[in-house]
Amino acid sequence: MIASTEPVIRVEGVSRWFGNVVAISDVSFNVSPGITGLLGPNGAGKTTLLRMMTGLAETSTGNVTVFGEPVRDNPSLYRRIGVMSEHETVYEFMKGREFVSMMGRLKGVNDLERAVDRAVALVDLADAQDRRMDTYSRGMRQRMRLAATLVHDPEILILDEPLNGADPRQRVHFKQLLQELASHGRTIVLSSHILEEVEQLADTVLLIVNGKLAASGGFRAIRAALNERPYHVRVMCDSPRQLAAMAVALPSVDAVHIDPDGSVVVLSRNVLDLQIELPRLAQSSGISLRRVEPLDDSLESVFGYLVEQ
Amino acid sequence: MTAMQPEVRAAHGGTVFDIGYQPYTGVREGRNRGRIAVFKDGVRTALAFGRGGREKILPWLFVVALSVLGLVFAIVAGAADRLGGAGTAEKMNLPSHSDFYGIASVILFVFAAVVAPELLCPDRRHGVINLYLVRPVTGADYIASRWAAFLVVILGAAWLPQVILFLGLAGGDPVPMEYFQKHWLDIPRFLLAGLVMAAYATTLAMLVASFTTRRAYASVFLVGLFVITAPFTVGLSQDLGGAAGQWVSMFDLTNIPVHVNDLIFGRASEMSEHAPARTLPAAVLVGWYLAWTLVPATILWWRYRRLTP
Amino acid sequence: MGSVYRLTLRQLSGRWRLAIMTVLASLPVIIALIMLHSKNAPSVTEFEDAILSAMLAGSIAPLVVLAIAAAAFANEIEDKTLANLTLSPIPRWQIALPKLLATITIALPFIAVSAFLTSYIAFIGDVRATLAVTLSAIVGVALYSSAFVWLGLVSTQAIGIGLLYIVVWEGFFSGFVSGVRLLSIHWFAIALMHGIDPRRFYGYDDTLLSLVAAITMIVIVFGGFLFLSIRKLRRMDVP
Repeated sequence: MIASTEPVIRVEGVSRWFGNVVAISDVSFNVSPGITGLLGPNGAGKTTLLRMMTGLAETSTGNVTVFGEPVRDNPSLYRRIGVMSEHETVYEFMKGREFVSMMGRLKGVNDLERAVDRAVALVDLADAQDRRMDTYSRGMRQRMRLAATLVHDPEILILDEPLNGADPRQRVHFKQLLQELASHGRTIVLSSHILEEVEQLADTVLLIVNGKLAASGGFRAIRAALNERPYHVRVMCDSPRQLAAMAVALPSVDAVHIDPDGSVVVLSRNVLDLQIELPRLAQSSGISLRRVEPLDDSLESVFGYLVEQ
Repeated sequence: MTAMQPEVRAAHGGTVFDIGYQPYTGVREGRNRGRIAVFKDGVRTALAFGRGGREKILPWLFVVALSVLGLVFAIVAGAADRLGGAGTAEKMNLPSHSDFYGIASVILFVFAAVVAPELLCPDRRHGVINLYLVRPVTGADYIASRWAAFLVVILGAAWLPQVILFLGLAGGDPVPMEYFQKHWLDIPRFLLAGLVMAAYATTLAMLVASFTTRRAYASVFLVGLFVITAPFTVGLSQDLGGAAGQWVSMFDLTNIPVHVNDLIFGRASEMSEHAPARTLPAAVLVGWYLAWTLVPATILWWRYRRLTP
Repeated sequence: MGSVYRLTLRQLSGRWRLAIMTVLASLPVIIALIMLHSKNAPSVTEFEDAILSAMLAGSIAPLVVLAIAAAAFANEIEDKTLANLTLSPIPRWQIALPKLLATITIALPFIAVSAFLTSYIAFIGDVRATLAVTLSAIVGVALYSSAFVWLGLVSTQAIGIGLLYIVVWEGFFSGFVSGVRLLSIHWFAIALMHGIDPRRFYGYDDTLLSLVAAITMIVIVFGGFLFLSIRKLRRMDVP
């Protein structure tokens, strides 16, 4: 598969309301091949948005197209899309392999046995595939659902909270799997509450707050775009008060305070200049810097700032 | 709830209150409060309080249908008395208090079949019974509270139309006070007969619901039980005749409480006047009713008292 | 289509459910046997009223079908597994039709065998009468299935509404208001039975439909509810 950067999913002016409650309000974005993380607080509208992107729910206004075609009432598109919802949508009376086979058959997979073998191996459940799914743990069910989602080798994967119930080892395995799929040109949209992992996995982040698109792009670029929020940088040194007194005069520093533990926290809207000015200042003053670390250069911080707005 | 005095930091001329997390230090009420809570929740569930308008349609449709039936009886009797003079309705043997439960029994039983499973099946289906049992509430408390809740609801549905009918008949009489003095005994009679119908329907409906996690199966089985035993036993009892026919007629489940209703009013109602079982001794009819109410109640209690979290 | 059909067969054939259906379906047969050996055998009209119309067509068949048909989609909606089917690249009619056929496959044998045995015993081997009763039972099952599968798709209260329809509309009102029979699946099936063997089932009142009218209504109702189910699947928000 040739990787492309052309948008595969286009969401244009989409809104959705339920009675008087507006769940999604005029959201527009494109999704290209790679991994896109969909984030937001509980009740922000992530699941509603994913359901509209997969055609499971109708939009009140706006359009969602996949590969240039409307996704709603267009079953033929599902040959190319794999969807895993947040609910445990398995048939408990079925064996794992049976379930994946049935899903493969419904998706029109040609070499079914081989496809099922491959999908089950991908999620490391070959040993348990002949057991009924009501004997599975939650994590096993989740993995078998993922196998059912992957059995027809879809070009687009839409995953709502796929890591629910997964243990740390399975999480690592899952991340590797997604990265491999993305490197082969797949388009993956992943909704999760586990910010650390989305931070590691996703090239692009879509942040939904109160039904609106609050930010999109790489999270560092989003962070940089939050002009009104200076970066917080903690500096540990041997003369905190002396450093603080001199740092406040630097052009790149907006404010300085000293924490109860004696570390200096510098607020700056221009960390590129701060990276140069601060060490020079320390050197010229004979102050020994022990540690310099950003306090809010993480997806969690970005998330927190945007949700607070 | 008694609020604990938040931690304060006092300074000269000012006080800062700690408004962070405060642990609950109020009274922790016991088992009785738990029973009342389960009871109240049962009443709310049965009448769909706190849920959307659509969910309210079905339970309230039954209440309205029964009330309309009572109103129709009152209007017809009132019209007859107006046209033919006081006492005409009685002389013409138009349906009255004694006939109401016989005629309305099918509606009451369908009401129990459709609504009673709502109080038990979802809790089992979604596994939330354990949440009740980790409180100071036992399995027996749970089922007793649920039973009482539905009993209250169906009693309301059974008594309301009788009250409407009584007020209608009294109001339709040229001298209402005279009507009341002549017929005041109808009040305790229809209250008692209503309790008989309600206890029977509640117990059987809840027993069947306790065997399944799907409301639908409980409802259909119950209606099948009531609706199918009627023609089956009627046909068979007529065919057999004699004592055998009487005993077969006893298995018409819709008529079991209606025979007790007839004993309370001292006359056969329209629905049961042709049933061979009506000629059996009163002790047999009452004993049979008690067997069909107390035995299912015992089984129901036994099933739930064994539950542990 | 085969996958959806087989899946639905498995979903709807629980052991307890099949046992209860067997018991219910055998009741009319038992009564027919008893009546045959009884000194006071009823007339054809009495037998039709009490057993064929009231019990088999009026109670047992619709209740059995309701329990199965309403669950065909309703259970999937409740368990949130319907998306497994709708997220497949198959037209919606290839979901609705196999669901309906699976429902009929499960309900039909019980009701058809019950109707066949009941009428064969009661009419002492009269082939035409037996065929009339059995065919009308089969048609009744198909019609109820079509209606209740659709009902399970459109409402979370399908069982309650279905029971109200069976007990109150068909059971209660149709006894007092003849016009109800023009909008009653039960009476379409009865009209078909009369039309196939009029010499056996004679002397009924004139409010029954003719054979042609009954067949027309049967086709409209069956096709209509199937069409509505397909349409609903295309338009609904799938949980």
